[in-house]
Amino acid sequence: MIKLDPSWLDNVTKPSRYTGNEWNMIKKDPATVSVSVALAFPDVYEVGMSNLGLKILYNILNRINDVVAERVYAPWVDMEAVMRQNDVPLYTLENMRPLTEFDVVGFTLQHEMSYTNIINMLDLAKIPLLASARDEHHALVIAGGPCAFNAEPLADFVDFFVLGDGEETIGEIANAVRTWKKSGKIGGKNAILEQVAAIEGVYVPSFYEVSYRDDDGCVAAVKVIHPAAKAVVTKRIVRDLDTAEYPTKPVVPYMDVVHDRVVLELFRGCTRGCRFCQAGILYRPVRERRPETLLKLARQIVDSTGYDEISLTSLSSADYSCLHHLVTDLIQEFKNQGISVSLPSLRIDSFSIKLAEEVQQVRKSGLTFAPEAGTQRLRDVINKGVTEKNLEDAVGAAFQAGWSSVKLYFMIGLPTETDEDIRGIADLAYKVLNLYKNIKGRRGAKVTVSVSSFVPKPHTAFQWYGQNSSAELERKQQLLKSLLKDKNISFNWHDVEISYLEGVFARGDRRLGQVLLEAWRQGARFDSWSEHFKYDVWMNAFKKMNVDPEFYNLRNRDINELMPWDHLSSGVDKKFLQREYQAALAESFTEDCRRGKCSNCGVCSGLGVKIIDWEGKA
Amino acid sequence: MTKLRLEITKGEEIRYISHLDYARTIERALRRTKMPLAYSEGFNPHMKLSFASALSVGVTSMAEYMEVELTDQVSTEQLRMALAQQLPPSIVINRVKEVVGKQAALMAVVNIAAYRIVVPWQTVEAPEAAKIALEKFNNSPAVLYIKENPKGRREIDIKNYIAEAVISNPTPEGINLTMLIKITPTGSVKPSEVLKVLTEDFALPVNSKSALIIRLGLYVETDGVRVSPLEMR
Ligand code: SF4
Repeated sequence: MIKLDPSWLDNVTKPSRYTGNEWNMIKKDPATVSVSVALAFPDVYEVGMSNLGLKILYNILNRINDVVAERVYAPWVDMEAVMRQNDVPLYTLENMRPLTEFDVVGFTLQHEMSYTNIINMLDLAKIPLLASARDEHHALVIAGGPCAFNAEPLADFVDFFVLGDGEETIGEIANAVRTWKKSGKIGGKNAILEQVAAIEGVYVPSFYEVSYRDDDGCVAAVKVIHPAAKAVVTKRIVRDLDTAEYPTKPVVPYMDVVHDRVVLELFRGCTRGCRFCQAGILYRPVRERRPETLLKLARQIVDSTGYDEISLTSLSSADYSCLHHLVTDLIQEFKNQGISVSLPSLRIDSFSIKLAEEVQQVRKSGLTFAPEAGTQRLRDVINKGVTEKNLEDAVGAAFQAGWSSVKLYFMIGLPTETDEDIRGIADLAYKVLNLYKNIKGRRGAKVTVSVSSFVPKPHTAFQWYGQNSSAELERKQQLLKSLLKDKNISFNWHDVEISYLEGVFARGDRRLGQVLLEAWRQGARFDSWSEHFKYDVWMNAFKKMNVDPEFYNLRNRDINELMPWDHLSSGVDKKFLQREYQAALAESFTEDCRRGKCSNCGVCSGLGVKIIDWEGKA
Repeated sequence: MTKLRLEITKGEEIRYISHLDYARTIERALRRTKMPLAYSEGFNPHMKLSFASALSVGVTSMAEYMEVELTDQVSTEQLRMALAQQLPPSIVINRVKEVVGKQAALMAVVNIAAYRIVVPWQTVEAPEAAKIALEKFNNSPAVLYIKENPKGRREIDIKNYIAEAVISNPTPEGINLTMLIKITPTGSVKPSEVLKVLTEDFALPVNSKSALIIRLGLYVETDGVRVSPLEMR
């Protein structure tokens, strides 16, 4: 146990990031458990504390009597300096235990820009960085979350990855570790890796060998080199979310964190089929919780936390079949306790506006819509089933209801995009401004146009597509900026250099591991925080390791190319993605299978699951 | 309608949480009690809750004061029992008292804060040097200090805020300082600032970086009579 010295914490920002002892924290005596797991989030406390996946795992693991899960987050740069100076190893918040005392250290991979933080956390924990340098005396380093579906850039560092929903897998892993420990770790580290490789959804990268082609450098083959390994690792899935365990006593932080409120997960999965969206593929199919289950969960969480706000979360919460009924019930039940209900992202329709009105969100905050692309043609390419008319109706309803500020989200750099599409973004922004004038008879609307740069992701219909170069993205940003001259329109855009790097790692392979290590050595960390992002360091690292980043992000891939992640399956057939890529080029629409017809993506038959949607049934 | 005034503590485990975080923690604990709490009217209702002087990050306290309003008759004992169950172990309720009649806001009347600073020796035990430093400080008619904050720099005379001579008790490990600091409508000084001046300008031989600061109490002083906010009438 580490005893915190006041001199360490008195001089860092937000010291309560490092002191734990929050309400609902679960603290077990390490001497009484057989398996201990450190759940690690590779970003600061206030970001990590909002992650639902880790809350779910924390709850499930700690409910097992002889298993303990404790939390650890990336120390901010000032705390890192203090820790290195005073030789304090990275520790968990519950028992202030160094990570080296744990059997398993599990990271969640939410985005690619967190990879250097993982390396940094291992280093601060004094755990050898390379999986090959760790034996049975070291913690097993494991990882899950969306980026595990292209785990390859982290293959050197992580012992095994967990694909898909973790609710069931995590317990099976704990069991395997318990048995292995009880046997005296007989067979060494290899034995536990063999055991977990047999668990559905677990990927042990060292059991595979990747070879590359001499001529073009593409992946030649991914060879299984261990009998315990499966040729293709397929994700795990919770078939019935309604009966799955949900954390009803989440840890309540002292400091202000992102999403500091009751979080209700309405459903998992989204099948709207936006072709750029990775989550839409990885979490298929849609599985809803019953409204009465959600109401019960809300009650339990309000009682155990004392939060004054309930937030509904899902990939597109507005699609929840019983949304209206649920929201009305929640408001009814909780309004006398001073508890409000907040809606997440709104769908672009007037129904969403009506609902927003009912929950009486603070009007000043404005409403957010995501048309994603500026023209109908491009929205058809990306399968964003939204028309200009939909947007006009929704925004019009919002203006009529008293809102005056609207935020519009777009992407630039999408496949087939031309300057016409960029101009379309500006046109939409002006149309929204004018709409207000027409409805209200005066000016006064505020429109924020927020533009991110499209990064092609693995397991999507656009995984073959070459990302726009930074110069091209900047040119498009400038073009748009020159078109948005009205003082009532504000324009936000993203750092193209971060998107460039994200593009490299999103579709990277194992050869990037050495680049990651080198960039970290040169000081890269917190790469998603623009104040810490060091583009030059990264470029130097690529150069030094003789790796061409543009091979990964800017290159158009052949539709038959073997992808570095083809042996990791979301259950969706590659053929479906290929069909969707063709459909994108043909600008043709693919229906949402949730209530429309099945487009044979392969998930339901392949994984033996089905859509659970209570529309008409509840 | 009941208004209750509580004396509570802020313990070691949560010494690094800010005043705002502390207030939010109490608010959530109160909500968990399911007591009939009063809320302000309007679009964004707030729990009717108020605190006496804010506590700095890193400082623990043996006596903080707050007031909470309830819409129904609730006894001091009922509230104490319900709330105690919902508070983290680092927050303890010392006393609860009902506020009868109209009384001035806590925030406005508290004007003295007592602190203890426990600080280790700089290198070796040096009680003589400490005694000299304290005497010099206590006897100085004025001690100037530049207060720096994000808004700018301002020179103040620390002695304007020191109510009584600072008392020092040496131990083998270090010294314990006890001080009474005035809270005025135009400002105050932090105990950490007094310690800084003592080490930097008066050569107090302690390691101020490893100091532990404890608020011993808050008082209302009128005409030379000092009482805690619970004794106030
Ligand atoms: S298999 Fe059909 S119904 Fe199931 S998720 Fe895929 S497209 Fe939808």
